[in-house]
Amino acid sequence: MTSDCSNDGMGKDSIVEVSDLTVRFGDFTAVDGVSFNVRRGEVFAFLGPNGAGKTTTIRTITTIQRATSGRVVIDGFDIDTHRLEARRRIGIAQQHISLDNELTVAQNIRHHAMLHKIPRSEYRTRVLPIASGLGLDPYMSRRVSDLSGGWKRRAAITCAILHEPSVLFLDEPTAGLDTQSRHILWDLVRDLNAGGTTVFLTTHYMDEAEALCDRVAIISSGRISAIGTVDELRESVGPYTVEVTEGSKVAVTRHPTLEDARAYAESLGDVLCNVRLTNLEDVFLDISGGKCLVDHRCHR
Amino acid sequence: MWITDVIDESYRVAWGDLCHLKSNLLEVLLTGTVGPLLYLLAFGYGIGGSMGGGEEYVAFILPGILALATLSATFSTVSMRTLIQRLFYMSFDELLLCPIHVSAVVVGKTLAGMARVVISCSIILLVGCLIVPDASVNVQTVLILLLSAFMFSLLGFLAGIAVRRTNTLSLISAVVIVPMTFLCGTLFDVSALPSWAASVINVLPLTHVSELVRSAMGSGTVPSDSLAVVFVYTALFFGLCWYLIRTNRC
Ligand SMILES: Nc1ncnc2c1ncn2[C@@H]1O[C@H](COP(=O)(O)OP(=O)(O)OP(=O)(O)O)[C@@H](O)[C@H]1O
Ligand SMILES: [Mg+2]
Repeated sequence: MTSDCSNDGMGKDSIVEVSDLTVRFGDFTAVDGVSFNVRRGEVFAFLGPNGAGKTTTIRTITTIQRATSGRVVIDGFDIDTHRLEARRRIGIAQQHISLDNELTVAQNIRHHAMLHKIPRSEYRTRVLPIASGLGLDPYMSRRVSDLSGGWKRRAAITCAILHEPSVLFLDEPTAGLDTQSRHILWDLVRDLNAGGTTVFLTTHYMDEAEALCDRVAIISSGRISAIGTVDELRESVGPYTVEVTEGSKVAVTRHPTLEDARAYAESLGDVLCNVRLTNLEDVFLDISGGKCLVDHRCHR
Repeated sequence: MWITDVIDESYRVAWGDLCHLKSNLLEVLLTGTVGPLLYLLAFGYGIGGSMGGGEEYVAFILPGILALATLSATFSTVSMRTLIQRLFYMSFDELLLCPIHVSAVVVGKTLAGMARVVISCSIILLVGCLIVPDASVNVQTVLILLLSAFMFSLLGFLAGIAVRRTNTLSLISAVVIVPMTFLCGTLFDVSALPSWAASVINVLPLTHVSELVRSAMGSGTVPSDSLAVVFVYTALFFGLCWYLIRTNRC
């Protein structure tokens, strides 16, 4: 899939370049020779089933985890040879919230600001307003261990963006968030992106990827099985879907054109069927289910 | 300048742990001083007193207990907090992805341990000077205590980043730290041991710290061979911590 997709990010102005990245834990290969680029200024998403290697890839790119082999370049800086320069450009909110539970929210944020060498004046004028913007004011003097998951997540995101990274990694940023918080986060991602920050996120919510992302990569078993814009991926499996309902089962087929889909539906005769646009969830299921569709028509 | 950067960054790394220390001051005071003071009383007066020569023995073990405090106030707290930050809070990851020199991370993570030693040694000295009127503290003693606190904090940090389970820490504590506590010339002279045991004990860092503190508080001299051993251990622990972090092996 990768090879027949022209939009793999190579060759354009890339801010993250990953080539042939492999990460092994003992004899288990979590990330298996992955190569892709993230373009400057885009919102890029990793989609993949549990255990696909999304978190491992992100932790390796952001220098937390050791790569077994391969090369990662952030904004022109190789993470092996120019680690500090690369790190200055990275912000990350990990899937597992990484705050010190025994400190307060304010202390965690202040500590991050110190680690990123943000001057005291700037801390007051720029960093604290970020926390306020995320509604953290009433929680600033509470210990992190006393907060609910969603508020911990907001505090972690504040820490991830306070040094104005050029590329922000968000590993399942909306997992466990309520609907309001999810929308606040989406707005934040859009604002940051409009301000020039490249965003690299992972999610299990297809609507989130569709709402936010310029390009997505689908990863399974440590390999990228498809990469491109949502439209391109939809195109690759067939942009039109016919759903045929038989009893409690729904069979779907993908079609290259609306005419083709309609003709197919009519050919079925007197059954309950529905012609609709293929969505990202369909694409995801087709691709990560191990069904890479060479033919435009697939019966499942 | 590299060195000024590292000093500045070390403080930034330590800030969180120092905040934690400040909000747990009572715990710091109690864990750092009750044990050593108990030794001072139990061994100094109890055992020393019952065998005659109590005063003299208290004067003998005071330096040993100070040396001991540099180990007991650092190893378990530094290793445990590092392990928890690494495995449970995952906040240790933040140190791995901020633009800070590896040396600053290593030094910074020892500062809270050193602060604990400053607190507990001050109190032990205060009590010690009350019961041993001619005990004298000089600059050499203070520097040796700080160096030793640095060395054992590094050891604690090393254990905290190398180990994968809390049980392993307890194991290290039981087979390395506790024996060191009693055998390394803190409570009795190493020469009282059979020679094979003495030669094992002489390899351990705490033996040399006891020797250094006793000598500095007594004659004011600093035996250079013991000092060299302490420096070698410090360099070794520092090097191992640096390597584990630099190569993301923690
Ligand atoms: N430290 C580790 N030691 C051994 N195996 C690991 C380690 N970290 C991750 N793995 C394994 O690597 C694989 C990929 O894990 P990873 O966390 O990257 O998946 P993921 O795509 O983020 O999944 P999820 O959607 O559940 O977050 C998993 O099979 C996991 O068990
Ligand atoms: Mg994950």
